[in-house]
Amino acid sequence: MLVGRGLAVIEVEGLEKLYGDFLAVRGLSFQVQPGEVLGLVGPNGAGKTTTIRSIAGIIIPSRGEIRIGGHDLGREPVAAKSLLAFIPDEPHLFDYLTVEEHLRFMGRLYQVADVDTRIPGLLDEMELGSKRSALPGELSRGMKQKLAIACGLLHEPQALLLDEPLTGLDPVGIRRMKSTIVRRAEAGVAVILSSHLLHLVEEICTRVLIMQAGQSVAFGTIAEIVASRPALRGRRLEDVFLALITPDGPPST
Amino acid sequence: MIRVFTYLAWRTAHNRVSRQLRRLKSPRYLAALVFGLAYIWIVAVEQRPQPASATVVGARWVELLGAFGVVGAVLWGWIFGVERRVLSFTPAEVTFLFAGPVPRRGLVQYKLLRNQLLILFNSLLWTLILARERFGASPWLRALSIWVLLTTISFHRLGASFVRTSLLEHGRIALRHRVVSLVVLGTVAIAITWSAQSAFPALAAGWQAGPTTFLDALAEAAAQPLPRMVLAPFRALIRPLAAHSFGEWLRAMGPAVLLLGLHYIWVIRADTAFEEAAAEASLLRARQASARGGSPSAPSLAHRRLPPLFRLAPLGWRGAALIWKNLLAVVRTRRARNMAAALVVGALAAAALSFQGDGTVAEIAGWLALTWAALSLVIGPQWIRNDLRSDLLKLDLLRSYPLPGRSVVAAETAASTLVLTCMQVGLLLVAYIAFLGVPEMDPPLDVRTSVFAAAVVCLPGINFLGMLIHNGTALLFPAWVHLGSNRPGGVEALGQNMLMIVAFAALLGMALAVPVAMAAGLGIVLEGSLGWWAVVPAALALEAGVVAESTLLVRQLGRVFERMEPIAGAMS
Repeated sequence: MLVGRGLAVIEVEGLEKLYGDFLAVRGLSFQVQPGEVLGLVGPNGAGKTTTIRSIAGIIIPSRGEIRIGGHDLGREPVAAKSLLAFIPDEPHLFDYLTVEEHLRFMGRLYQVADVDTRIPGLLDEMELGSKRSALPGELSRGMKQKLAIACGLLHEPQALLLDEPLTGLDPVGIRRMKSTIVRRAEAGVAVILSSHLLHLVEEICTRVLIMQAGQSVAFGTIAEIVASRPALRGRRLEDVFLALITPDGPPST
Repeated sequence: MIRVFTYLAWRTAHNRVSRQLRRLKSPRYLAALVFGLAYIWIVAVEQRPQPASATVVGARWVELLGAFGVVGAVLWGWIFGVERRVLSFTPAEVTFLFAGPVPRRGLVQYKLLRNQLLILFNSLLWTLILARERFGASPWLRALSIWVLLTTISFHRLGASFVRTSLLEHGRIALRHRVVSLVVLGTVAIAITWSAQSAFPALAAGWQAGPTTFLDALAEAAAQPLPRMVLAPFRALIRPLAAHSFGEWLRAMGPAVLLLGLHYIWVIRADTAFEEAAAEASLLRARQASARGGSPSAPSLAHRRLPPLFRLAPLGWRGAALIWKNLLAVVRTRRARNMAAALVVGALAAAALSFQGDGTVAEIAGWLALTWAALSLVIGPQWIRNDLRSDLLKLDLLRSYPLPGRSVVAAETAASTLVLTCMQVGLLLVAYIAFLGVPEMDPPLDVRTSVFAAAVVCLPGINFLGMLIHNGTALLFPAWVHLGSNRPGGVEALGQNMLMIVAFAALLGMALAVPVAMAAGLGIVLEGSLGWWAVVPAALALEAGVVAESTLLVRQLGRVFERMEPIAGAMS
């Protein structure tokens, strides 16, 4: 069941993550509404992956709060994690489970009662129907990525966290992946998408959070970000991004 | 080309040793190395040869038994397949060598060269280990003899793997090519069996009479014309090892080196089809290993259809998904299947032995099974690692699942516990069945039955506690535990394993002290009324105590898991 529109599915307040003396993320706050696709962009080491992994419950924030569907990730981790799906850039699969068994495994973890009826549809959507009995060692990089995505979508999460989801996919796979993300967002899923592919972010994200050195340097729709900087009027996200993260502005092309 | 390969092999070995030396700054590696060296010293050096007067009777059997050992190693290669160590290429080797202007024959030469490093190390180790045996000439000559032996066996198994690969890859065409050699091999096997048939009664009688008589009968059987001819090359390989003087060694080395040279020519001149097949197989294996993140054992593709026992219901305790996943990993591992098959064969053999003869062989089989069951209490948790010790490499994934930490710890530990307990109960069953055939066995049947029942009751709890100790160590000190299913080799790894076994035995002993005391107290109280059957309620008391301890430990380790973070580098 999806939470009602207007109530944020993902709420991040004052997120900080400290690795020793290094502050990887500092004072990050934002919300993602149902049906919204938030693009998380920034140069390498900006803190995107730390942010997304903190929201997924993989790493523990040093400070701040994260709520998924109203459940505090620190205090109610099981309830919060039940509502989200995290799809990393590098698909982590189990060597000894076949494609179908991965989905059955996820079905039990997320208590998907109708797993038998959902599996065929997902396998078709991800073009894995002919590979249902294959082990990960027999799959190409792109197919593994598709399987990881299928595992994430099986329980119909309310929040979808995607870290470089197009890595390894072929052009057809990229097109399908983009339509999958858009379709899920239209169905009311809150999506956070971390990517270096700015044209992808521009194409499917409703809002963008640009990060640098662990903090937000711009947040809003691309139009809002451009509007706040008259010098960038009419420019594309790539120019906006380069203008914000490089001191001398975008390099001339 | 050989200079390039030599450079690559030399620099790789040099850098590996340098890295190992550098990491000795870490207490983990230093302690492991000290323990490993101490063990080798105690085993190989401290136990020096006794004075010549104490010459053992067994020395005269070295050549014969050694030859049988080599026959076994060779047959193993032919029956069970490839020499993986030689044929496996790393992803980097596949990228640079397969794609580079390197002939297939060059690839094979390179792998032979790389394999020499391992053979040299093994030769040194065996020389040290055999230093306490009272046969053979000087250690240097022994080291050379062992090197020739191990290299020849390695070459032979590689050649065998080429033939096998060719048969598998090219099917009937290759079969036609090999039909002559296969017919010759089959004929020789039949002829040996036929000619040795006359010795079977003497061998059977010798088996009953004792080891020396049996070995005499074996020597007589091996002296028949055909077995002698077949065994000749195998004995030739062992003879330098058993030589007592330099002159004798020199004479024995001639045929051994000739065999080595012939094997080298065989392997190098294997026809192109073989080399292509081997190279392609290596490429595929390397790709698969790379795709699996370096996991060396390929899952069996023949075991996809699972019995209903392995179907996972979508609803219920979420942790069951982890148990199911880990059990599937075991079912699909070749080693586990071989172990299960060995247990079944062992049980059948024990049953057969227990109903014939005077029970001597059945008793030996029973004690062997019992010893293995007892040993597995300590070494089993180190051996069966389909738990957090494998899955911590995927900590990202585990942490993202909607499972409380205690459920993760309990489920991961339960899977290994189940496998280990099944193995132990299987071994105990083999022992129980075998002892049925020993008429004057002490303790008597009713005592054995009650102890067997008690063991079945308390083993799951003890194993769970043992697995928790190992998993807890992995959670609390991940840098001290090797994570993943593949095991590193070398002195450090040996020392680390020993450290773990010693620490584990001490911790398990401490953890079991209170439950054992409770069980002993209950057993003593009930002994008057129940006799030996009091061990069953005592085992239940032990199990209750262990369950209570385990519950506390699971909660504590669950909290540790929930606070644990994947840090790049720390998990590898």
